[in-house]
Amino acid sequence: MEWLEIFDISLFRSLIRSATPIALIGFGAAMCSAAGVLNIGLEGKMLNAAFVGVAASYYSGSAMTGFIWGVSAGVLTAILFGVLSFNLGADEVLAGLAINIFALALTRYLLETLFKRRGFFSDPSIQGIDPIEFEFLNGTPFEKILSGFTPSVYLVFLLAFLLYLVYYKTRLGTAIRATGENPEAAKDAGINTLRMKWLVVIFSGVLAGIGGTFLSLETLTLFTEGMSAGKGYIGLVASSFGNNTPLGVFGASLFFGLGDAIGIRLQGVYELDSRLILMIPYALTVVVLILIGIRQRLRVRPVPIIEE
Amino acid sequence: MDKFSFKDVLILITGVIITLGVAWIILTVTGFIPGEIAKLFYEGAVVGQRNIVNTLNIATPYILTSIATVISFRVGMFNIGINGSMYIGGLYAAWAGYKFTSLGHISHVSLALAISIFCGSLWMLLPALLKVYAGVSEIISTIILNFVAVLFVSYMANGPFRADPIAPATPRILETAELKQYFPNSQFNTGFFIAVLVAFLTYFILKKTTFGYELRSGGDGLVGSYPSRYSSYLGIPTDRSAITGMLISGGLGGLAGGIEILGNARYFYQELAFNQGFDGILIAIVGKLEPLGGLIASLFWSALKNGGLFVDYKTDVSREIVVILLSILIFFVSAQKLVSALEKLSFVRKLDSIFSRRIK
Amino acid sequence: MIKSQKEIAIELKSITKTYPGVVANDNVDFKVFKGEIHALVGENGAGKSTLVKILYGIEQPDSGEIYVEGSNVKINKVDKAIELGIGMVHQEFHLVPSFTAAENIGLGDEPKTKIGFIDWEKLNQDVSEIAKKYGLDLDPTLKMIDASVGTQQRTEILKTLYRNASILILDEPTAVLTPQETDELFEVIRSLVNEGKTVIFITHKLREVMEISDRVTVMRDGKVQGVTETKQTSPAELAKLMVGREVFLKVDKTDADPKDVVLELKNFWVHDSRGLLAIKNLNMEVKKGEIVGIAGVDGNGQTELVEALAGLRSTSKGEIIFEGKNIEKLSPRKRRRLGLSHIPEDRANTGLNLRLDIWENLIGTSYFRKPLSISGIISMKNVVKHSKNLKESYDIRTPGVFIKVQSLSGGNQQKVVIARELSENPTLTIASQPTRGVDIGNIEAIHKKLVEIRDEGKAVLLISAELDEVMSVADRVAVIYEGEIVAWVNPKEVNQEQMGLYMAGIKD
Repeated sequence: MEWLEIFDISLFRSLIRSATPIALIGFGAAMCSAAGVLNIGLEGKMLNAAFVGVAASYYSGSAMTGFIWGVSAGVLTAILFGVLSFNLGADEVLAGLAINIFALALTRYLLETLFKRRGFFSDPSIQGIDPIEFEFLNGTPFEKILSGFTPSVYLVFLLAFLLYLVYYKTRLGTAIRATGENPEAAKDAGINTLRMKWLVVIFSGVLAGIGGTFLSLETLTLFTEGMSAGKGYIGLVASSFGNNTPLGVFGASLFFGLGDAIGIRLQGVYELDSRLILMIPYALTVVVLILIGIRQRLRVRPVPIIEE
Repeated sequence: MDKFSFKDVLILITGVIITLGVAWIILTVTGFIPGEIAKLFYEGAVVGQRNIVNTLNIATPYILTSIATVISFRVGMFNIGINGSMYIGGLYAAWAGYKFTSLGHISHVSLALAISIFCGSLWMLLPALLKVYAGVSEIISTIILNFVAVLFVSYMANGPFRADPIAPATPRILETAELKQYFPNSQFNTGFFIAVLVAFLTYFILKKTTFGYELRSGGDGLVGSYPSRYSSYLGIPTDRSAITGMLISGGLGGLAGGIEILGNARYFYQELAFNQGFDGILIAIVGKLEPLGGLIASLFWSALKNGGLFVDYKTDVSREIVVILLSILIFFVSAQKLVSALEKLSFVRKLDSIFSRRIK
Repeated sequence: MIKSQKEIAIELKSITKTYPGVVANDNVDFKVFKGEIHALVGENGAGKSTLVKILYGIEQPDSGEIYVEGSNVKINKVDKAIELGIGMVHQEFHLVPSFTAAENIGLGDEPKTKIGFIDWEKLNQDVSEIAKKYGLDLDPTLKMIDASVGTQQRTEILKTLYRNASILILDEPTAVLTPQETDELFEVIRSLVNEGKTVIFITHKLREVMEISDRVTVMRDGKVQGVTETKQTSPAELAKLMVGREVFLKVDKTDADPKDVVLELKNFWVHDSRGLLAIKNLNMEVKKGEIVGIAGVDGNGQTELVEALAGLRSTSKGEIIFEGKNIEKLSPRKRRRLGLSHIPEDRANTGLNLRLDIWENLIGTSYFRKPLSISGIISMKNVVKHSKNLKESYDIRTPGVFIKVQSLSGGNQQKVVIARELSENPTLTIASQPTRGVDIGNIEAIHKKLVEIRDEGKAVLLISAELDEVMSVADRVAVIYEGEIVAWVNPKEVNQEQMGLYMAGIKD
């Protein structure tokens, strides 16, 4: 049972780090889905943010500047998505897909044109975002578990809690959910459904932006082509798995993160299993979707026929 | 989907003009001379035997994936998983390529391609069943399967199908399984002709057979619209059509992957990455969800890509600019409201009806 | 003590509203007193829905004035109407399925705690209080997906009360209720009025009007036909006002000469999509050589009846016997092969695929047969010939058959459907709202066609909410009400008062 040995603190930390970008995207995707917007373009937003974050950090020498510009890039891309889908009437899924392809090409182009590199860009003058050490935890058993993560990680935990509150305990939350489930009911209640949709799109753009800079400025300080590596899509899958609720997404992200972390660990040990293990979260998502689908169908109970 | 109307042509032309304008700006701002670049571009796309042939080679998977998309959209399924089918088809074509040792050329190639079609098709079975019988969104399920496909083929190339202990790749396929390459300076192979054949076959089947009629009666628009009330009302079994459509589109995706392996790469290695499945969706949209439209759009797309490669090779301009421009074009073309805004102009309406009258 | 003049809650003066091609409201005056239950009555298309949409701010009148409690107001959006104390319960509920009753009721207006979060406890409490006050039994924590239709409706009503509506508009509220739920609803309405609310009740069911309302306004063809106190009128009078023609439009035809029975329905029951019974124990026959009409206000089961006959909906219980064979379990295609064709009421989505060409729509039921296709390959030559023939014989106005159906006018689109359906020479044609949205010229042509095939010895089952159409085209007419046939009439002999009563559910 040597494989049990891999379940240690280091795995835990790796899990959290893997889960973070997924969760960030997932929260955004969940909010969008809750409002009835199918936002596939999060991958592109993430990628743009990752690149701009690195570029800005490089040129300015400041990690904070990099972060701000990076997140702005995510938001700008989100606005592009919004304009295409809401103002110009493009199909949401199509717009999202096109944005992803666009972002991949754009970042590659800028990588070559601005930095004259292909594949990746790394430079000592890129300022990364440093991990936060909680000094008061030094020496305690909690040090290894809680301290020393980069800011976005803590943000994820905070968001899970905050979003839960917003979702279920604020007017905004109910307005968003109503917009997604029955826009007519929302409009009746005086809710501006278009504004709600814009809100969730921008919000997911911010989160995707943070996710992007997380990858390029927090985890490593470099930009790789196609850095988002499908995490944008995984986030969408996680939100489906979690039934588009904050806690569900949080749990799903941890789950995917676990798979990721185990996969990385096992790559040295059992080459075979890592990829198979990574498949498990996806298989489970499919199962969850089936269950949700079946539940929707068991709704209509016919009135019994009584002959007089 | 709408046949080509004047509106569509107008949108396309306007989109192209705008895209060209953007290209002009980008190039000038980054210090290049647009005119020169354009010339090189043109040269790279269609001038010279090597360039033309390379363009056609690049086009092969695009043709197949765009047609695969056309088919699944027209039965009402928004299928994003064709890329995954490509991986699966490619992997098993490679396997068939080295596994069967005592076959003649034609039988080996046919078998390998048949296997890639079969496997790619099987990959789409689950999403199809999930949608028809459990109402699970095919968008999400096909996205998931894309990931699973990448993981799966990576695992197989590393494990059970692995050639030698060092390189994570399958053994090279036998000569008898190769799709013949014709030119020494290009990977252009028989696969292109297969793809074009498929395009025409699809056109023929959709338009002129009862089977094709049943497939396309259902989906009547861009977004997956299964199930269609019209089809049910006519008595066409919509679930059968939807599943069949998905299987066929998966099969074509698998074929695209198979041809890439048998014709170009000749073995399956871990880093092999396919993207044509996604581009195929955009190409299919530009081609108005018609097989021939997809064919032409694919050629166009590949010409641009090849031109971009050439420009990239000869200058400092990155090839990615092509994809950027193409996405901008897609943004434009997909903006439905622009299309309907155009309708308001009376000259557009008039030209529109003349145009459609001309097409018989 | 002399009762002081009752206060007017709402007054609509000279309201006119036209849509392209139809005058929905023609100089309508409508007055409702405070604290009364006012019934607004009329057939489909009479203009009732338009009138209340104007009142509720969903639509704007072309001309006319609105007075709420004496003040002249412009209600240009729903918010304004709500502000003025007007609340509306639509026929189709606008509820969020996964929310509870309280969540739905409070949507957009939830009470907040000091920190700014929603105070769910207070909301539930408030909702319970209001519910109790008006006698609406409701569990605020019940999720709407788990709620019965009656409960859902009560939630909708509470939505208006939560926003302090003093004037409630109920649009065909009993359409979805069982008889018991209807009684409960009436209790609720009475207690609402006791608490000072005013209720406007839209219906076509005269029996209910008599039971619950204080005053009645009858509309027909966009105009007000009469306003009276319920006490001083009778169903018969109301029916006359509702239906009010002296003479039905005549269609030229000889008398029918019916022969063998082609369709028989025995103990026929059908559920609708909500699980309620749409058709209850129906028994009827259609013979060759006759046109049988089914008259009735939309929503009394006609749609489900047609769908079940065509095979688009399953038969819950009973038999459909077509030319001697039981077909309840057969697919639509098999039924077509036996000679049953169907002109659907939803032309755009069901009867046609608008994005396809005319020829593609025309061959929808025959593409798999010779000579249109041979072993799976469509013979374009024959298809074009066939399509052009149909275009000629049915006078479909279009430059060619290769044009998308979308670009045809409504009347011509319908002709495409009819051409397709009738080209099979069906023994029985079910025509459901065949002239809806069709211009006058084409209406006549379609009616003529139906009579033509009748004279050829075929059978036609005509279902229409247009009374004129049914009465002038059909040879004998069944009036359907709440899923049952309440009467068979001879169009040439029945008087319109009687028709109105039947259509409103009042049997002899």
